[in-house]
Amino acid sequence: MKHSFIDKYSDLDSPVHRLDPRIKTLTALCLILIIVSETRGELFPFLFYIPVIGVIAAVSRIPWGYIMKRCLVVAPFILLTALFYPLSGMLTSDFRSLGSYNHEYMVGISIFLKAYSALILLIVLTSTEKFHNILLGLRKLKMPKLIGIISALMYRYVFLIHDEILRTNMARDSRTTGKLKMSRLKVYGNQSAMVFVRSFERSQTLYNSMLSRGFNGEFPSMSRLSLKGKELLFAGALIMLVLAIRLANQNIQNYLFN
Amino acid sequence: MGSAVKIEKLSFSYTPDKPVLKEVSLEVKPGEKLGIIGRSGAGKSTLLLHLNGILSGSGTVSIDGTKVEKKSLYQVRKKVGLVFQNPDDQLFNPTVEEDIAFGPLNFGLSREESAARVKEALNAMNLEGLEKSVSHHLSLGERKRVALATVLAMQPEVIAFDEPFSSLDPEMVVQLINIIGGLDATLVVVSQSLLPLLSCCNRLAVISEGEIIAHGPREEVVKNDELMKRSGMDMSFYREIFRDYF
Repeated sequence: MKHSFIDKYSDLDSPVHRLDPRIKTLTALCLILIIVSETRGELFPFLFYIPVIGVIAAVSRIPWGYIMKRCLVVAPFILLTALFYPLSGMLTSDFRSLGSYNHEYMVGISIFLKAYSALILLIVLTSTEKFHNILLGLRKLKMPKLIGIISALMYRYVFLIHDEILRTNMARDSRTTGKLKMSRLKVYGNQSAMVFVRSFERSQTLYNSMLSRGFNGEFPSMSRLSLKGKELLFAGALIMLVLAIRLANQNIQNYLFN
Repeated sequence: MGSAVKIEKLSFSYTPDKPVLKEVSLEVKPGEKLGIIGRSGAGKSTLLLHLNGILSGSGTVSIDGTKVEKKSLYQVRKKVGLVFQNPDDQLFNPTVEEDIAFGPLNFGLSREESAARVKEALNAMNLEGLEKSVSHHLSLGERKRVALATVLAMQPEVIAFDEPFSSLDPEMVVQLINIIGGLDATLVVVSQSLLPLLSCCNRLAVISEGEIIAHGPREEVVKNDELMKRSGMDMSFYREIFRDYF
């Protein structure tokens, strides 16, 4: 079975790809923290954040279509959160004062922008580095072993489940003409149950095969991580730039309102 | 000479009322190539999983004099390599190289030593140049060879194969027979494909309903029609085909 991977563009070559996974992960996390901690309802700084994120994504050479497609997956959740913030304000207040809800709208939009900024940074991070290297980097950054194992196994088992879905889809489609009718929704129920049972059994065999080759809770890797001075410099400069935008905006606000 | 594998009165059941193995006793000498045949559900794969300590029933299993038990699992797994029937069950790393190096690295080899083992195993399997490939984007034949390479890289004393010839095209079967036949290790091969098994093993055991009903040189075992019938192989049927067409 062939399926796509979250790190399918990790073999491309770009300055972002060449960064050490530890630096890349830490930089992404710092940028996300700075951006999401921006004052609620502040939209002005996003005029600067968005181009910075855009440049990072463009330099990484990850196709925009791919980034957008992955952004769409979580769009319903982000949109609902962003929409419900002003709505909840309206529902708990007097409808006559609708005009004073401008701030709530701004907060909703800023939630949307913050979420998408973080998401695009995470997509760039996971797409420019092999997943096992990200885990390896996190382990070197002293991430607890148990979380590392759970993440690694989850990544492997997701493909296993996907594989079973593709197999059962083929089996179902080979005996189905046209679209499956609503009256036969039971088929999807049965298929889902089978996917989980089969995946469970396969995961057992996979685990046995890992044990038979000495698995002791660690995923050893042939990859070597090397930290270069200029990578640190680049990451530091990027974090400083975003932090400067953040602080400058705060100072402008203080100046305007005091 | 000691035994590479010694199984004594091994019994095992997944559910209490249905034993899969019933007091199985079997001995494999170092360097021997033992083939095990039997019907589906006869207990062949279950028996293999005991060699590596993945399953443990009552009775004893010893590998090169080391009893398979919890405290000796590290040693046992270093000595016994298991090649699973479905290569997709065996390959779980992102690249072929990482998958082959998984065992050696787990057993404490350095990256340099592991890289050398990877290269050696890939050469032995005619898979040079596939180091960075994604395992499950390879053909079934290639995946089977990668699965075998993952075990060869550990340089085990005993290699146990579970249905190595299933789902392979005839050319690939011949290639695999040559590879298995040329391995310098004690082999235990479980298969329902009698002809390939006869080509690469010098001894044969027949398992039926969890019991070893015959064990000896392949020529002796395969000529016992009654025995072969009990293992699901009607030899008269094959003889007729050969007489009619060849």
